[in-house]
Amino acid sequence: MAKCFALLGWSLPVIESMQKLGKPYVVVSFPDFEQYAKENEIPFVSYRFDEWSDSSNAMDLLEQLKPWNADVAVPLFEETVEWAGALNSIYRDDPRVFNRAFLFRNKAMMKRKALIGGLRVGLFEEVYNKEGVKSFMKRLNEANLQVQGEEDSWVHIKPFAAAGTVGHRLLRSISDVDEKCQDEDFPCLAESHLPGIEFSCEAFIHGGKIRFLNITEYVKLGYSNFIPEGHHLHSRRERILTEMQKLVDIFGIEYGMIHPEWFLTEKDELSFGEVACRIPGGHILELAGKAYNFDSLAAFVQCHDPNLSEEELNEILPPLNARPEQFYGNVMIYPRKHEISKLEIPEELKEEPYFLDHNLVPPLSTQKISDRSGFGNHFGTINFKGPDPDRMTELLIHYENVDFYH
Amino acid sequence: MTEEALLKQSHQIFDELFTEFREATKLTKPGKAQKLINRIDMIAGTSAGIEMLYDKIDELEAAGIFEETAWIDPSKLVSGLVQGTIKSGHPNSTYELLSELRILAIARERIKHPHLSGANASDFLQEVVVSNLEFFYNDPMEETRLMMSKHELQKANVLFGFIAQKIELNGIKKKLADELELICLQRPVVTEKQRKLIVLIRKRIKPDPGNPDDRKLLEFQYALYRPTLSTEGKDTDSYKVFLESLDVDQLEAEAWEMGESMQKFGLVSRFHAVLLRLLVEKNHKELVPTCLSLSETGRVKWLKHEAFIADLIQRVIVPYNEQCIYGLANILETDIFSREVIRTGISNLFSIRINPAVEERILKTTRAPRDQVSSQQYLIGSLIRILGQPLGVRQGNNPTCQSARGISMWSQFAPARLINMLQTAAVHNDLALRFEDREVKSSETGKGLVQTLDYNLDAVSVTLVPLLDKIYNEMMIRASGRGEDPHKWVNPALYGQWIQVGFASAYDYLSNAIVDFDGFTRIFYAMCHPEYNGGYRLVYPNPVGIYITSSQGEMLGFHAISLLRVEQDPEGNYRAYFLNPNSEGRQDWGQNIRPSVFGMGERYGESSLPLHEFASRIYAFHYNSLEAPRFVDDIPAAAVKEVKDLAKNSWGKSYVWIETKKKW
Repeated sequence: MAKCFALLGWSLPVIESMQKLGKPYVVVSFPDFEQYAKENEIPFVSYRFDEWSDSSNAMDLLEQLKPWNADVAVPLFEETVEWAGALNSIYRDDPRVFNRAFLFRNKAMMKRKALIGGLRVGLFEEVYNKEGVKSFMKRLNEANLQVQGEEDSWVHIKPFAAAGTVGHRLLRSISDVDEKCQDEDFPCLAESHLPGIEFSCEAFIHGGKIRFLNITEYVKLGYSNFIPEGHHLHSRRERILTEMQKLVDIFGIEYGMIHPEWFLTEKDELSFGEVACRIPGGHILELAGKAYNFDSLAAFVQCHDPNLSEEELNEILPPLNARPEQFYGNVMIYPRKHEISKLEIPEELKEEPYFLDHNLVPPLSTQKISDRSGFGNHFGTINFKGPDPDRMTELLIHYENVDFYH
Repeated sequence: MTEEALLKQSHQIFDELFTEFREATKLTKPGKAQKLINRIDMIAGTSAGIEMLYDKIDELEAAGIFEETAWIDPSKLVSGLVQGTIKSGHPNSTYELLSELRILAIARERIKHPHLSGANASDFLQEVVVSNLEFFYNDPMEETRLMMSKHELQKANVLFGFIAQKIELNGIKKKLADELELICLQRPVVTEKQRKLIVLIRKRIKPDPGNPDDRKLLEFQYALYRPTLSTEGKDTDSYKVFLESLDVDQLEAEAWEMGESMQKFGLVSRFHAVLLRLLVEKNHKELVPTCLSLSETGRVKWLKHEAFIADLIQRVIVPYNEQCIYGLANILETDIFSREVIRTGISNLFSIRINPAVEERILKTTRAPRDQVSSQQYLIGSLIRILGQPLGVRQGNNPTCQSARGISMWSQFAPARLINMLQTAAVHNDLALRFEDREVKSSETGKGLVQTLDYNLDAVSVTLVPLLDKIYNEMMIRASGRGEDPHKWVNPALYGQWIQVGFASAYDYLSNAIVDFDGFTRIFYAMCHPEYNGGYRLVYPNPVGIYITSSQGEMLGFHAISLLRVEQDPEGNYRAYFLNPNSEGRQDWGQNIRPSVFGMGERYGESSLPLHEFASRIYAFHYNSLEAPRFVDDIPAAAVKEVKDLAKNSWGKSYVWIETKKKW
């Protein structure tokens, strides 16, 4: 059993789960949280993850964590993944654990690894400027045998190391490159557009084996998803599980949880998008916890512990073949106007039997809305619960397009 | 899903969220509290929801719902702040509502609180109720309606209905008596507000005749339940039997007492209908004027139209429709029945077949048993009330001040037109008016301002308002984009030919600013101020647009009223007397501007303000373009400045002001 979990990153729901679990832990996060931690008796080590120097590095953090007897590091956010990798490579005495962390932090490296391992991926390339993107798009057009007058092939660009949809841009034409790309986007990864329905998996891994697999169906990336997967994806679950285990093997992941995104086409081709190993956005673990009725955050943390026993694993995770009867979904609400002054919950939502709760906050006064980035800065989430995944999909599509803020 | 199933599910989800909230440590409690309070907000719109919340309030408090909020300690709350918080919207209003429920539980000693005794909790709630009666009646002031959403209003209405039924009211007897007096002094056409309050008091207070405050409350009780001594302990049936045993002299005494009772507050008792019908049926028609408490003039009118009115009484006036007796008495004091068109118009209404949609609307305005009064009787009864109390027309909880103003104007100056419109609307559920030589038909226009009508209205209003509202809106659309306020053309088209052709607006559409407010005020005074307009009085009501301002003087929105007359008040100051279709006699427009409804020379139903204060809130009015301009230069600059200062320091802050002179 782990002597002490070092939780890298500040998350109150995770801390609450750890308190309820009763296992030793220490939170490592920015100095801003120190006061709150002290007032609430949360074991805390203050650390600046955004600083790398002679006095701020993994060896120093290792020293600071010694009094706590920490022996398992758990990354809660994208930016703490390599810190956790560094600590765990020492705790487990395996330098590759650290290298592996970089796989998650460099999307080009990640894709190459997947390609070598035999997963289907799109065409990709590292690009350094707008011209690079244009050349990539032209080569893609050639490969797609573009005839004059036909549309350009779609290209996505993403920062190498950013969570979810942050900095993600879809470029539909050469002129889009000039209009949508900013100089500060580069260098980054360019990749061809993958068709098909998009979903994510949350695989809880222990001893290199997937012990529990949740599939999250994306209704619209960045806006809405639900758990467990709907009928169609569910009929492909065995196939997905096989590909997932392949991914785990290729990446050599032994402990923790991974959260990759996949695309499934009508022709049943399964393509790998990207993978992360921290808590996913979109409140996915919250939904999974409710749908499968387990403490998903405590399980997330504990799967990082190599010494967790088989009995404990069976206790904290749902069975691999579990299929909940109720579907839990959510839609994240972004104001659709540039200026808002009030919140209005439509009557039809109040009368919707699937409607569970919302945490939308009325604006305090008239306020201007800035552009969104990633899953961040949404104004709140609306949760739904119900037995029919098709109805769930309908609702999520509908409410994504409803104005709650006026 | 049925309403019941939905309610059950909603409560089930509440339970789930409540469990999550209870089980959360203080780390995630704020987030769970937010979801819980959002669900409570949804539940609180129905009385079943409020009851459920009241049942759970001790658990909610124990689980810490008030922690980290301003409501944590009920002994430190201030009753005067409740209204502001309720108006500020969710989530504040929802916490406030829970806080009231907790105090109610303390007052009823279901919850024990270390610093707030049951008696103090009860006092607190009584103060809260008496200063928030507008929510109890669900007849909000214009300011309130502008500030609160429909759902928020519903929450407040349900909450106050619930609390009023459950608390002691003995501590606020005087305030309740004052409140009743204030409403009755305006003689509104719809008497639901007073009746609701009188019923509440009857259920909740045992008046002590030795106490002056209680005597006042008793008088109101008597007006409805014991208008004459002989009605004591009787129902309408036994009263009728009793009346049949009386001789003429006794009947006359009874009629006199009944008439007096009605005139006291303008409230009519059900017994009155029984007596009046009996007088007509048993051929004691000569006692009718006494029973209506008519003046000499009224008696003459009665004699002239005796057959017509006796017939009207028999066909329309029944218990449950009794309030129109007051209207009838008032009509007889005027000349209205002398006009052949009016009598014909009313007779026609007896032979129409009311459109089912209109009938449904009419029946929704009343809670009386369906078999007692027909929709026709309601409609004609309501017409009688309006013709008799033209200044008692109100808009209820609807954004339809324009239509209410119209009904009031027509009932005074074009009653035949009103009756004719009413007949068309009742039969066809449709109306057609002319706007600049083109027909505007309500059935062919889009939406009006009101989407769901509040039925706390009279039957004439529910018949006409939805149609007029759409026609008004359509006219506004047709007249928009002309660079000037569309009301310039819409008012005469909608209301009729007596609206003056000249139109002044302080707001300039092209520059989006207030332009030449000095000139605007000069024209206004030249139009209506007897000292500056050649000493003339206003003849017809002037449809005026005003800015509604908060008690802090901040701009809230627009409102339509009519200026009726400008005269010197008992203190010798010039006052504007006006009809506000949404008046409740306690309004505060900021800068110490508080419209009064009695005591300053007002007639029943009028509001009034010193003329310069009134002038400081208006932005548009009509005037005689041949008369007014010749007086503008005679108006002293100081009089203009007085108005402008008030305007600029209130609603004026929301606009740019341009001083360029403009040709009026």
